[in-house]
Amino acid sequence: MKLSEAIDVLSKTYQSLDAVALGLQVDAKEVQAALAKAKPDTAEFVALTVLAKYNPSIQETKTKEIINDNTDQFK
Amino acid sequence: MAAPNKILPGFSASMWMQTGATPTALSTANLSVWTAQVATIVGTSANGTGASGTGLNVEAIPAFGQDDAVASFGVAGSRQSDKIPTQSAPTSLTITAPWNPSDAALLLIRGDAYSGTIDRTFVIAATDSTTTIAYAFNGRVSEFKIDAAPGAEAKAVFTIHPRGNQYGWSNT
Repeated sequence: MKLSEAIDVLSKTYQSLDAVALGLQVDAKEVQAALAKAKPDTAEFVALTVLAKYNPSIQETKTKEIINDNTDQFK
Repeated sequence: MAAPNKILPGFSASMWMQTGATPTALSTANLSVWTAQVATIVGTSANGTGASGTGLNVEAIPAFGQDDAVASFGVAGSRQSDKIPTQSAPTSLTITAPWNPSDAALLLIRGDAYSGTIDRTFVIAATDSTTTIAYAFNGRVSEFKIDAAPGAEAKAVFTIHPRGNQYGWSNT
């Protein structure tokens, strides 16, 4: 679902925002980007906050795998 | 974007409601938005604009907020049951107002009670100088009684039942 459509649904509904947001699947990265730009004290901000709750963005962290190399050890 | 930052006295709270016989209640999301939404219902004395709202003269603001709601599970032989908090409903408000039969706000309340199906946005605003915090909810009026006992002024007593989930907090 497009993020703009999801925001529109959440801004106009009279239902529980949590219940409605559960059924709206949107791109988590788009939500984070839009939330960063949204002005507080707007319906869009309220909608994005609820969407972010149910579409958490998972940060990819790259870690170097260290393999113990004991081949140079003389036993 | 600031809420009052001190302990507020009870009389700092005031009650406001949308005007119009068949108002369009604010959506759930907009109940949490002060600017251009909740502020239009709250009057200028409480830092709103009051373009589409009117004050409700009440004797006191009753307790407002959320009810308590838990699901309890008991197991025989267990000392204590498990109480799991669930999403609780906004609390109903029974309000006493001095009765002026021609008061515009009370006439709207009387009409709502007669209908029983009109959803209207109500706001309780607690104010300290230029800062206000607002509890906005959509509700329907149920009880509407006149207490015309001779020992005191006539009173209108009515109950507002908030619609489930339709409430929000906002501030200036």
